[in-house]
Amino acid sequence: MARIACFVEKYNFSDPREDRALRNFKAAAHSLGHQFDFMFREHIPQIPKYDAVFIRATTDPLYTAYVVSKTASELGLNVVDDPRSIQICGNKVHQYELFKKHGIPHIPTAFVTNQDLHHRKLIQIFRELGKPVVIKAPYTSFSRYVEKAACETSFREVARRFLKKSDILAVQQFMPTAFDWRVGVLNGEILYVCKYMIPKGRWKHGAKRRGKPTFVWGRTVALKKQNAPLTLREIALRTCSIIGNGLYGVDIKEVSSGYVVVEVNDNPSIYAGYEDLRNQDLYQKVIHHLVD
Amino acid sequence: MKPEEFLKSSITEDFTLNINNDYRYLKTAYYVSIHAETLGSTVIPRGEDIIAAYRTPIMLLKASKAGIPAISYIVASSVKQIMSEIDFPVLLFAVNPFSYDGYKTAKNRSGLYRALKSLEMNYKFTVCAQPLRGEMISTNCIFGKCDQDNQVKRIAEQVYELFKIPICKIHVQRVKDVDYLCGLQPLKKQELSPRDLEIISDEVSRMSSQGERLVG
Repeated sequence: MARIACFVEKYNFSDPREDRALRNFKAAAHSLGHQFDFMFREHIPQIPKYDAVFIRATTDPLYTAYVVSKTASELGLNVVDDPRSIQICGNKVHQYELFKKHGIPHIPTAFVTNQDLHHRKLIQIFRELGKPVVIKAPYTSFSRYVEKAACETSFREVARRFLKKSDILAVQQFMPTAFDWRVGVLNGEILYVCKYMIPKGRWKHGAKRRGKPTFVWGRTVALKKQNAPLTLREIALRTCSIIGNGLYGVDIKEVSSGYVVVEVNDNPSIYAGYEDLRNQDLYQKVIHHLVD
Repeated sequence: MKPEEFLKSSITEDFTLNINNDYRYLKTAYYVSIHAETLGSTVIPRGEDIIAAYRTPIMLLKASKAGIPAISYIVASSVKQIMSEIDFPVLLFAVNPFSYDGYKTAKNRSGLYRALKSLEMNYKFTVCAQPLRGEMISTNCIFGKCDQDNQVKRIAEQVYELFKIPICKIHVQRVKDVDYLCGLQPLKKQELSPRDLEIISDEVSRMSSQGERLVG
């Protein structure tokens, strides 16, 4: 019997779909004969008592989840998400550098710093990537800190806001599609495949309601993984192979020229009745991977 | 070579020395190290070490694993938890994405509440709490060298050997004549003394004569 700690924060239980998914993980662990405890911040000193750590709280190298991941890794525990995956997936600039190096087909991307916000450079960016462009802060997650800009004024306004935290930003070509593919990958195998639909009149899966702090999310359409296009699955696996062998959610756009990777997320959303709808075995597979 | 110039280049070198006073995650120096690593160059410091060095609990865990005398600590998020495990006075380092400027001390419960509210940014993040039992010594650490006595000098050398952060400040606690590593933080440019600049210059000259690529 292995002892698994699942690092969570209170907000992980605020959405009933995620709450149910977390309980499904627990049930899967119990059915396989393993102990599965939810570990909150106050239980971090108890990490050495466990054999594996599964992180479900939002990851970022600057968040507590990274401290948990790195501590568990330094102590020799199995950990999902591992620190290297958090380091790469938590920083989109790092990720796109790796995509370029390894020839992963991705959305045409440029990097900008504070010194690039002058007229000549912006004209060059718009000429290369077209109008509008998508400005992405490296620490983006859940569709936040990703905004469109169609003129120099809005480009500077968005970029200056994002540059307060990071010295480099990613700027990408705008590629509107009806949906983004989301391919769940675990240890070099496809775990699930979904279509994340873009809400009507929006351009991202999750879009902020105008003048309100809340988000509107598009539908999630789950597919049986074997029914997903082979090329899509191959690209997802090849992309994850340059990052590691953890649990990832690869976002891919299908355009006229083929498939292009949008980004790879560690700690991908898993909501009961959504990502797992056609792939109910994903819970057991994650537990197997943790105790392997 | 200037960092901005290096970030746009794609020249592959065997070794890159990244010199900066602030290596924090998301800052230019971090991206320089990541860019060098992506190009296949051995770089000082590595991106992974940068993140580890500035996250106090990870830094202390790695340091103690490497045999560096490091203070005991807990990662905590509440006054109750800290008080149940550590007696006053308590030393607190932030584990949040924004604070990197030294530490706070708390001598009693109300002081601890105030320090936690500030460092946890209204209880959103955690802190690294340590017992404060002796005198705190903070010193500039330039390529593992510092102007302190032999015990602190040894810790500075060991910290540099482990994390390879060329320019930083370390915090050490002296308890009954024994020194313990407590934290590490970036240096502001104005904190660099003429002696520090001399050490940097010597080190850069030494490495340049070996034909290494220097970014800073």
